[in-house]
Amino acid sequence: MSELIPTCALGGTMPRTETFGALTLTEVADLALASLALRRNGVRPAPMGMALPDTGQWHAGEGIAAFWTGPDQWMVEGPGRAEEDFARLIKAEAPDASVTDQTDGWVVFDIASSAGGGRIVDLLAKLVNIDPRRLAAGTACRTGLEHMAVFVIRRADDRLTIMGMRSAAATIWHALAGAAARLEGSAT
Amino acid sequence: MTRLAGGLIDRTRTLSFTFDGRSYQGHPGDTLASALLANDVRLMGRSFKYHRPRGPIAAGSEEPNAMVELRRGARQEPNTRATVAELYEGLEASSQNRLGSLRFDLLAMNDLLSPFFAAGFYYKTFMWPRAFWEKLYEPIIRNAAGLGRLSMQADPDAYDKGYLHCDLLVIGAGAAGLSAALTAARAGAQVILAEEDFLLGGRLLAETHLLDEAPAGGWLAKVEAELAALPNVRIMRRTTVFGTFDHGIFGAVERVADHLPTPGNGVRQTLWRITARRSILAAGATERHIPFANNDRPGIMLAGALRSYANRWAACPGQKVAIFTNNDDGHRTALDLAAKGVEIAGVIDTRGSVSALGNYPVFVDSVVENTRGRLGLKSVTVRSGAKNFDLDCDVLGVSGGWNPNLHLASHHRARPVWNDTLHAFVPGENGPPGMTVAGAAMGQGSTAAAMTAGASAAVAAMEGLGLRAAMPELPRAEKADANLYPLWHVPGKGRAWVDFQNDVTVKDIRLANQENMRPVEHLKRWTTLGMATDQGKTANVTALAVMAELTGKSVAETGTTMFRPPYTGVSLGVLGGGDTGPHFRPRRLTPSHVWAAERGAVFIEVGPWMRAQYFPQAGETEWRQTVDREVLATRQGVGICDVTTLGKVDVQGRDATLFLDRLYANAMASLKVGMVRYGLMLREDGLAYDDGTCARLAEDEYVVTTTTAQAGPVFRHMEYARQCLWPELDVQLVSTTEAWAQFAVAGPNARALLQRVVDNFDLSNEAFPFMACAGLTVCGGLRARLFRISFSGELAYEIAVPSRYGNALMARLVEVGSDLGATPYGTEALGVMRIEKGHAAGNELNGQTTAQMLGMGRMVSAKKDAIGSVMSRREGLLAETRVLVGLQPVDPALPVVAGAHLFTEGDGHSTATDQGWITSACYSPHVGSAIGLGFLANGAMRMGEVVVAANPLQGGEVRVRVVSPHFVDPDGGRLRV
Repeated sequence: MSELIPTCALGGTMPRTETFGALTLTEVADLALASLALRRNGVRPAPMGMALPDTGQWHAGEGIAAFWTGPDQWMVEGPGRAEEDFARLIKAEAPDASVTDQTDGWVVFDIASSAGGGRIVDLLAKLVNIDPRRLAAGTACRTGLEHMAVFVIRRADDRLTIMGMRSAAATIWHALAGAAARLEGSAT
Repeated sequence: MTRLAGGLIDRTRTLSFTFDGRSYQGHPGDTLASALLANDVRLMGRSFKYHRPRGPIAAGSEEPNAMVELRRGARQEPNTRATVAELYEGLEASSQNRLGSLRFDLLAMNDLLSPFFAAGFYYKTFMWPRAFWEKLYEPIIRNAAGLGRLSMQADPDAYDKGYLHCDLLVIGAGAAGLSAALTAARAGAQVILAEEDFLLGGRLLAETHLLDEAPAGGWLAKVEAELAALPNVRIMRRTTVFGTFDHGIFGAVERVADHLPTPGNGVRQTLWRITARRSILAAGATERHIPFANNDRPGIMLAGALRSYANRWAACPGQKVAIFTNNDDGHRTALDLAAKGVEIAGVIDTRGSVSALGNYPVFVDSVVENTRGRLGLKSVTVRSGAKNFDLDCDVLGVSGGWNPNLHLASHHRARPVWNDTLHAFVPGENGPPGMTVAGAAMGQGSTAAAMTAGASAAVAAMEGLGLRAAMPELPRAEKADANLYPLWHVPGKGRAWVDFQNDVTVKDIRLANQENMRPVEHLKRWTTLGMATDQGKTANVTALAVMAELTGKSVAETGTTMFRPPYTGVSLGVLGGGDTGPHFRPRRLTPSHVWAAERGAVFIEVGPWMRAQYFPQAGETEWRQTVDREVLATRQGVGICDVTTLGKVDVQGRDATLFLDRLYANAMASLKVGMVRYGLMLREDGLAYDDGTCARLAEDEYVVTTTTAQAGPVFRHMEYARQCLWPELDVQLVSTTEAWAQFAVAGPNARALLQRVVDNFDLSNEAFPFMACAGLTVCGGLRARLFRISFSGELAYEIAVPSRYGNALMARLVEVGSDLGATPYGTEALGVMRIEKGHAAGNELNGQTTAQMLGMGRMVSAKKDAIGSVMSRREGLLAETRVLVGLQPVDPALPVVAGAHLFTEGDGHSTATDQGWITSACYSPHVGSAIGLGFLANGAMRMGEVVVAANPLQGGEVRVRVVSPHFVDPDGGRLRV
């Protein structure tokens, strides 16, 4: 463990969280990420025993999850493992694949609804041009949000994750918080 | 008061509002126009050019005349149609386009001068002298002919945007739209029903037709309730679908709070992008008028609008009503108004054998020839056969037939088709994919036809989506034919208005014909017909028909102008989405941003990035002091700069080496593991594209860097090469720009400083020489990457750590290096030092320069092929003699200006004698004067020569000496110590 103290993407030492009516936004600072791409004609590995999801899907295993990011490419998630060398761990699990550390490449925001999936759908409509019917629980896609490229993951009917450029964390927060506040009728 | 009985207004509540400062009362359900008419106010505005007194002619969004400035202060909105502005308590409106009061508008003298203001007058009148246009003519014309005024204050309201997806979008909730929505909704489809009005029903709200022998309200309520209860239906009231775009995408504006005094905490309007698999356009029809002399007086309205005001809003603009019609629909107005107790002066019918539908006089074979009444109609002159007579009336309803609202079906350039039976343009073939037009918008104007058409269109749309829909049981409704006999204008002497909003008359069209402006697109632009906020909804077809008559062609041959979005005006605020100021566009912050802000750094926008430009210290009064200090401190001790913004791409795969060798113009295959090489990429055309470094981390793993500006484009270029040019190669790419915080640590003390943060890593020159790279740990086990590369010309490194540690590492380096002179520096000092060292940057890599010009011609390897290599050797590029040189003013006190052009001393300053230009310039604290880099013809052979740097834009010229571009350490000894 380093002597240095990490800074969260939004600039604080602690991740930010805020509730707007039924919607709660949380900056997730401890999610480890590693991109995994098959070598040409490579065999699809099963890191930590988890089958990698098919096109457009997100899939969770034991202490690990992954979503599809492109042909033969995935992003592997390690909840709570940001401080570990997660890429090395995944590389050991998939030695024939190209693995790259992506933990700090992204800012991760979880959005939870206490009023069911309907509110998530309403929020999605204000954020991304994705048909919510196609973004059912267990799916993920890359799309544009306020002129930025983001990943949108529907982890459950009432839970959404939005991942964007870490450097643009404040802009993304502004977009998410603004949309949530307007939806819930509270001023920003 | 001319409030009638009945109507869809809530008489249990009264709303107070003001118009031009006077107070009036209305009811919920009223529009501003209906409430004013109910208060006997029918003069609501002045016309665009002639300042003629005007009142509303329509009852919907097609209104050309009744435009007001709505609200006060920052919320004041000009050109708001009184016919769609919903009444609310405290509404404030003012008339516009007048000088003085509305009743005595001083600019009405324009009306007397009308012969001078014919169509095209300003193309002819204000041509000379040329300089007068901008300063004199235009301001005067704008002042006289403008519409409403802007508040000149920032918009205080919030706007929102969003995206919706559906199986079927139904545009318009009249008889056709409701039937369509009901049919599709029952089939289980996701349906969006968008209605521009605040009530569903369309014309059903304005008519007295019976549905199943009962008033339409009962059926409407039933359908609305069923739709509202279905979870797969989204009813959007106050929502105008304004454009049809590609791929089934529609633009729509929902006026969320325009009917409220202020939006409060909510948004004013929402811009929706609706993606629909199928769409049904059920936008209804717009009634057309028949031009005759002085047909623009307040009190003269479309007959259908009179019915709307009477039936829906219980308002009538006068006491005694006459109707001028060429079809049966005009008679309906007479019948409905008579039923409300309004006196009918008579129906003037152009047709021969017609009889009254009720107890009112009918004048057959007759036309209205002229009218009287300065601020409002008093009488009309009727020509009946050979005789003329005056008919007293204060209201005239005009009905010339109905034009389908087909605009949205033509946004993809599908040509409307003239229908000789309907005497109207109807949507043609090749409309937007997936769109069906139904109801009055297709010319199916009777209630029964509209309902059947809407439901049938929905059944067909569902079938296309694989859903089974059944025709709903539709109520029995009227299916009368209007028996229209076309009459496009009444010939005569006076001015007969065709386009009310732009003051275009039959005479103007005649003039256009005389001046050979006959094609419809010329007619439109020359007369301005069909322009402005109403886009000629009540004028276009009539104008075409008049032109057809003048040229002796049919309307079909004459054709029509095309429609483009928006269908009705859309505020720029809602298109912009509401985010302004720092939120106007995405902003990217560097990992050490928090630390830099705490240090009082001055930031500068670099694309979307906010980078520290310099770090002022106490006592420094201007930026140059700070930058000079940062440069000298770096060259004498050690400086630290956040360079995270440079693009980083992780390249892996068995063929990574081959891939990079083909991507870079210089050799990469020979790069050893643990080493870095400078790389230059060319474009396909052989010009320089981008430069950066390529570090080999393992046999099959590299990290390459790009310039900040080209990080995205270069990554895209690499993906293109990987996926399209050489898909056979085993290469995987991923951007890691954001993942690593990277800092330049430069200066003679750089090694000593880094030694204090690395964990057991040998930094000696032997173990870690110039251009080495390695993975290591710092500060007690933190993963890091170290590169010994230099952009400043000093002994330098770049150190990278996971981004979340960037802020802490920056602080740590400055803290532990205080005795070594550790100094943070910003982009300004970075720029100065790279100019002093003669390194190319964006100014030199501007897309017009070659490797040869940059002094890197020999880097383009002849031993291999790479993107752009062959093209870089073409004759035209090889013949280029301009090369990068350094420039130093002969008088060290004089400035060097980037962008200045270079000339041989004694030559004139012209394109023919141009010798090159200055790309970058700065004050060099190392040299002690301003310096510059530039491209100079035969520059390599002109060292020591004095040339002239001319700056004709700002004036001034400076004599500069041609020197080596390397002002600092030309042989590079400092890099290698």
